Amino acid sequence: MTELTKKNRFIIELKGIVKEYSPQKSFFSKCDNRVIALNSIDLGIKKGEIFGLVGQSGSGKTTMGRLLVKLEQATHGTIFLNGNPVTNLTGKALNNYRSRVQMIFQDPYQSLNPYLSISETILEPLNVHKIGNNDQRYEKVIHTLETVGLSPGKEYYDRYPHQLSGGQRQRVAIARAIVLEPEFIVADEPTSMLDATIAIQLFRLLTQIRDKFNMTFLFITHNLAAAKYLCDRIAVIHEGNIVEINTADEIIQNPQHPYTKKLIQVQPGFHFN
Amino acid sequence: MTILSVENLSIGYNTKKGLLTAVNNISFSLEHGRSLGFVGESGCGKTTIGMALMGLLPENAAILSGKIHFSGEDLSRFTEKQWRNIRGKEIAMIFQAAMNALNPVFRVGEQIAEAITTHNPDLSTDKVNDRLKTLFNMVEIPESRMSDFPHEYSGGMKQRAIIAMALACSPKLVVADEPTTALDVIVQDQILKEIKKIQKAMNMSLIFISHDIAVVAEVCENICVMYAGQIVEMGTKQEVFKSPKHPYTKTLLASYLSLDSDEDIFVPDMMETPDLTGINTGCRFSVNCNCKSKNCSKDAPGWIDLTSTHKAFCCEQGLGRKQS
Repeated sequence: MTELTKKNRFIIELKGIVKEYSPQKSFFSKCDNRVIALNSIDLGIKKGEIFGLVGQSGSGKTTMGRLLVKLEQATHGTIFLNGNPVTNLTGKALNNYRSRVQMIFQDPYQSLNPYLSISETILEPLNVHKIGNNDQRYEKVIHTLETVGLSPGKEYYDRYPHQLSGGQRQRVAIARAIVLEPEFIVADEPTSMLDATIAIQLFRLLTQIRDKFNMTFLFITHNLAAAKYLCDRIAVIHEGNIVEINTADEIIQNPQHPYTKKLIQVQPGFHFN
Repeated sequence: MTILSVENLSIGYNTKKGLLTAVNNISFSLEHGRSLGFVGESGCGKTTIGMALMGLLPENAAILSGKIHFSGEDLSRFTEKQWRNIRGKEIAMIFQAAMNALNPVFRVGEQIAEAITTHNPDLSTDKVNDRLKTLFNMVEIPESRMSDFPHEYSGGMKQRAIIAMALACSPKLVVADEPTTALDVIVQDQILKEIKKIQKAMNMSLIFISHDIAVVAEVCENICVMYAGQIVEMGTKQEVFKSPKHPYTKTLLASYLSLDSDEDIFVPDMMETPDLTGINTGCRFSVNCNCKSKNCSKDAPGWIDLTSTHKAFCCEQGLGRKQS
């Protein structure tokens, strides 16, 4: 395999990513214990794949999501998008990267600005990246609302977040993430605040979006069952290290690492006896 | 012995749109030393029931009708003064740790001691300290962490401290409202085991509220499934989860993701939330129900007895005979 095709196998690739947090030195701080959130992560995500990242609170899974959308800067290591390093992007190049990589946050009650109507929320990325004229933007917003299952789009256009249920809000957050038709979306526990009947509908929606636009997803969760349902491949992360990567079915049926086995064992279930 | 029995309880909220009946005509009972789980989606009224059992309903809420019998007294008519005598002592609540149930400016030990001294003002300091140590051992927090502040605790430890606080006066009945919702699966597993172990050891009665059916199945012997302020199905864990009869229970179970297989996962269409203001006699689930009956939205559903313990609230009289 030549160097070039090797690079292009993955849409997103992380090489030797390390993220350390050092507490701010202050008068009261006793020591300078650095926290290693991510310890030398190597990972590649294929085009059109839903990739699951499963771990406990504090395992570094959200840090990884934030690094990928460049809300944080890695201490060491390089991130590649389509084979091009994006770690040190600035200015216009960074702007362009941000239009190609989007994020869906955990809590739809906090990630939507209560002062902005649904249309303003979804218009914002279009305005920032100066896409289309007013009419085209309007059409695009209506169309995106209907894609995420909020139809007719006109009915939701002028509403505000408080007029929507939790599931509808998360649909708006998804609409905001896909309106620029990005290549890669980081979904950070998008359903952990929602009921099971709503969560399953959103999973179906994410799969539909993947199939329609051939988008790639990183799905961050602590729920192995959800990851199994939605994802093609799963990585299990524990204390900043990826301990196991495999296809979703293999991870569940044939776990290798003791931590993965433990995660499977503690999954609540119906034990009738 | 029945420790708690609720009869035809309705609770309403005074809202801008008018009276909202969050809990509509529900009845259930709990035997001493047993556990009862309430499961349903957000907004179905399960927390309102928990708050009513603790006498902590918000100011715009009121018990419209019905009775809450606990140890021979009717709690629905209690004054605040009467509540103060039994809240924490006879009935205690395990709150969700994420909901800031601990006061950030007091040490954890002090906060739990307060629960003890409030109900036993004559207890000597030594005895209070002994009791604190017992409680910390029971929930498996090292005694050395007693004088820490809440921010020094991890999420799981905070939840343990909140459990210790609820157990401070050895209550007869404990109401646990989503105690593991904010925790990840590994800590959740520890806390659920802890709750089960303590419930057995102290022979307490437990009401466990959660939106997660598997968590309820893990802890409780009997289950009430709630939808839009009503109990729609109740029975033992096996009856409700192995042979569900109400269409809503079936939807809830079918959309639950487990590790076993996801071939029979059912994705419901977008669910409408029924309007709970005003008077509506028809079946509240009828807008989302896949049953073919035409009159469900008008006819009042009734209880259908399936076994001596298992019953469902539905218009479909043939429910018990049909194969699920």
